[in-house]
Amino acid sequence: MILLRLISWPYARKHMVRWLLTIGGIVLGVALLVGMYTANQSVLEAFNRTVEHIAGKTQLQVSAGDGGFPEEALERAESDPDVRAAAPVIEQVVDSGIKGQGKLLILAVDMTGDRSLRDYDLEGGDQDVIDDPLVFLAQPDSLILTRDFAARNGLGSGSKLALKTMEGDKQFTVRGILRSGGMSSAFGGNLAIMDIYAAEKVFGMGRRFDRIDIGLKEGVSLEQGQASLRKVLGPGYEVDPPSGRGEHFESLMSVYEMTMNVASLFALFIGTFIIYNSFSIAVTQRRSEIGILRALGATRGQIRTLFLGESAVAGLVGSAVGIGFGLLMAQGLTASTNAFMEGVMGVSANADHMLVRPWLLVTAAAVGVITSMIAAFLPARNAARVDPVKALQKGQYQVLSAGENRRRRIAALTAIAIAAACLALGRSHVIFYSGYLLAVIAMLLLTPSLSLYLSRALRGPLKLVRPVEGALAADSLIQAPRRTSATVAALMLSLALVIALGGLARASYTDIKEWMDTTMNPDFFITTSEVISSRTYRFPDIMTDGLRQIPGIAEVQPVRIVRINFGGNPVMLVATDSTSIARRTRGRKVTAGDFDEMYRDVAAQKGIIIADNLAQLQKLKLGQMMEIATPSGVLRQPVAGILKDYSNQLGTFFIDRALYRKLWKDDTVDVFRVYLSPRASRSEVKGRILDRFTHERRLFVLSNTDVRSYVLKVTDQWFAMTYLQLFVAVLVAILGIVNTLTVSITDRRRELGVLRAVGGLRSQIRHTIWMEAVAIGVIGLTLGVAAGAVNLYYQLTVSRESFAGISLDYTFPYGIVAVLIPVILGAAFGSALFPAETAVRSSLVEALEYE
Amino acid sequence: MISLVAVQKSFDGKRKVTALEQIDLQVARGEMLSIVGPSGSGKSTLLNLIGGLDRPTSGEIRIDGRTIASLSDDDLTRLRRDKIGFIFQFFNLLPSLNCLENVALPLHLKGMPRQQTTARARELLELVQLGHRLDHQPDELSGGERQRVAIARALAFDPPVLLADEPTGNLDSHTGADILRLIRDLHERLGATVLIVTHDKGVAESCPRMVTLHDGRIVGDVRR
Repeated sequence: MILLRLISWPYARKHMVRWLLTIGGIVLGVALLVGMYTANQSVLEAFNRTVEHIAGKTQLQVSAGDGGFPEEALERAESDPDVRAAAPVIEQVVDSGIKGQGKLLILAVDMTGDRSLRDYDLEGGDQDVIDDPLVFLAQPDSLILTRDFAARNGLGSGSKLALKTMEGDKQFTVRGILRSGGMSSAFGGNLAIMDIYAAEKVFGMGRRFDRIDIGLKEGVSLEQGQASLRKVLGPGYEVDPPSGRGEHFESLMSVYEMTMNVASLFALFIGTFIIYNSFSIAVTQRRSEIGILRALGATRGQIRTLFLGESAVAGLVGSAVGIGFGLLMAQGLTASTNAFMEGVMGVSANADHMLVRPWLLVTAAAVGVITSMIAAFLPARNAARVDPVKALQKGQYQVLSAGENRRRRIAALTAIAIAAACLALGRSHVIFYSGYLLAVIAMLLLTPSLSLYLSRALRGPLKLVRPVEGALAADSLIQAPRRTSATVAALMLSLALVIALGGLARASYTDIKEWMDTTMNPDFFITTSEVISSRTYRFPDIMTDGLRQIPGIAEVQPVRIVRINFGGNPVMLVATDSTSIARRTRGRKVTAGDFDEMYRDVAAQKGIIIADNLAQLQKLKLGQMMEIATPSGVLRQPVAGILKDYSNQLGTFFIDRALYRKLWKDDTVDVFRVYLSPRASRSEVKGRILDRFTHERRLFVLSNTDVRSYVLKVTDQWFAMTYLQLFVAVLVAILGIVNTLTVSITDRRRELGVLRAVGGLRSQIRHTIWMEAVAIGVIGLTLGVAAGAVNLYYQLTVSRESFAGISLDYTFPYGIVAVLIPVILGAAFGSALFPAETAVRSSLVEALEYE
Repeated sequence: MISLVAVQKSFDGKRKVTALEQIDLQVARGEMLSIVGPSGSGKSTLLNLIGGLDRPTSGEIRIDGRTIASLSDDDLTRLRRDKIGFIFQFFNLLPSLNCLENVALPLHLKGMPRQQTTARARELLELVQLGHRLDHQPDELSGGERQRVAIARALAFDPPVLLADEPTGNLDSHTGADILRLIRDLHERLGATVLIVTHDKGVAESCPRMVTLHDGRIVGDVRR
């Protein structure tokens, strides 16, 4: 500790800017970790809190995907001798319709039996409403609101609240106010209780429930209850404790979380290089100091501990700042995570406050400190090995020995050979990821040698631009490859990630556009909501004929979309009129099977079409027999065909609508795909549709362009995460270059002083430093593009095999590289401005005396 | 050639340190003098001020008729480049450049054409008897040879003033004597004004004029 105060602190204080830059990587990594994790946990906790508050005494919950199930299931559940109480529930999130109040969770229950599971603690005077359920039932416009929501909006018993229903905007009457606490705090207090049969009409669900909440008889364990209910209800139903919904939510969130974790880990990984670089330079610069300490009796262990101690302090400071930034970030990220889960996954949590977990902060600090110490380990070891006699000789700088370089090259070539063998060998994940890791290691090992070659290659062109400054800039890089190579490695890794992600995004966009061209080709999409993905409300099947009769409409395709559990994942099931769809989407990309044949099989209810990502993720093959649990038993059918599809990240089934109606006993419709007659006017037909239906139900007529732009918006939302990674990558690259240049200028202070002393003008010194920075940028770009090309191949494989299951063609993102060139060179140049000014404005006398 | 009037130099830190006080010194064109004094007497500070590496706190310094105080940083650099040659104790050669490139550096910085630069650098290295070491890197040379390269570099523009800060301080006595001989020879051949800061009594006494500093003041100025 005393050495830290006496030796390390003065050095750190003298090189404060560099130290701040050094810990920048840790700050960024820890901030991302804390910010993202806190946001995710806040959203998850909000969801769990809502589930828990709403569950009341519920022990088990019966569900069948998000499509719900017929009312008759309630009777079957009630007939289970282990069941004490069975309460049907419809749960939907709607727009509150009040500015600034966001969403409202509608919990629709049957008041006659529900109170055996939930306590409705109403304010005085309102108790009669639920004491006599018939009062509630007899008045289907009844709503119970929470005290919080009512107070915020100046509502009380008897107040009216307009809600959007399938039959248009409808006035509801507030007939009870829930006291604060308990159920009242679910969904951030934005909760309304409604009669379940009224809700069926409001949401156009037909005679279906979303869920049955179960209370078991005394002495019946959860496992027993689960087993007996599964037996009574059959395989199409899921029976889980309420906490299972949280797990489901978490599994939906995991893909999102993983992307964010990658960004955070990435920042820490690159931060490691920056710290390694700084410590290596610090050891070189402080060799005489180390020599003096050794001469005075410091042991090797003390020297090592001194440097590791410095790195621990740097890590701790970086972590502390990172935690602060992370918590600030979490506030914004919570809202965007909420929006993402709602928009892309269709589940809402309404997180209204941030959940800060102390263990996360401790873990983040530990991650920061450990990362920093790992990065400083090798430099600390080198410091401990410094020979005191040599260290006390002036002007002796540590250089990368030829032997060290050769060993690295041999290790790199060996790693490349093994990585290639891993690729050629097998399909096993372990072998593949081992190969990937070895490829990254090989790139890193080759960086010093390649940087050196490229620096030498650049000497000529740089000299052509400016003979003296160019030569000096290149020589500075050639002379100290160790100083440059860690930054080049960090830059290379950043760019490799950017190029791979950019390549993935570009390939995905191309594919998604192609998919939309062939699949999303109707003239109109008639939906129950402004956004096509919302499935809160549904249309009755009867509307299909009504639409068909409208002049100008050539074809109507009713579509039902539900999420069902398959292979432990919420997979999307799309039920359509397959013959009609086949006719209209003929150009679709087929991954396996024959297009006409697969649709013939589906129409004949002899097979199921699956999306290629489902096939990849769950290892399904053409012809393979599948078992899908439905409310009417298990559906056993072979895979009739595999299509490229982007409807759902976790995969999609396509079955015939007739089969869906038969097995799920559901004839409701989420979306009508409408094709117009060749000469029909779009605006006229749209007007006719609205005239015909708006007075009786809620509906939106979206044009093809509307839907396409929505899909692209959702895609952008998804890629926003990758853009975040791009941002991190570029930021880290800039940090690295600034750090290297700051170090380089300190290192070359005397050299720059000599240059000035013998006649170098300020502008010439600036040019030297600028050229050095741009040269680092060029080297990093060159290696980064090469590494990116390799990384893209691996990322495409990861994306196909382990992540989204989608096969994308290898297309090198030249456009992104074209953007990166000016960005990185600009960043390199910008990074050089401050160090260059520092160099030209520093004292010439001090520079000449600098050691 | 060199004129210092009431020059003072102090450094502001936690405590103000006065390095030079009321220095008045006139050095004629072609004169060769040594500046001696104990450590901390202000010898190197005086040389830095005359060389335009640093600026005085007060007083006036004129080199070849030009007042240093009124010059911008770049003008001062041009003055250094064209009128003053530096020879340092630790040579201050750029380790990444070979002998020819090191000597050519100031010529390049002035923007001289490549061919002319190379020819001049070669000529200077031959002048210091290093014509056979053109492609050698500084770390391939002996201490004396390095100092010769530094002297060749200092002579790039035939400067009227040569400033040497402990030119023999990092060399053995034999090599030091060689270097001193070379400097004296150049002084005679080129007619440059030479100022040598030194601890070495022999070096000091070999100069026709010796200025002694003590605690930042001139306490002796002997001409032989």
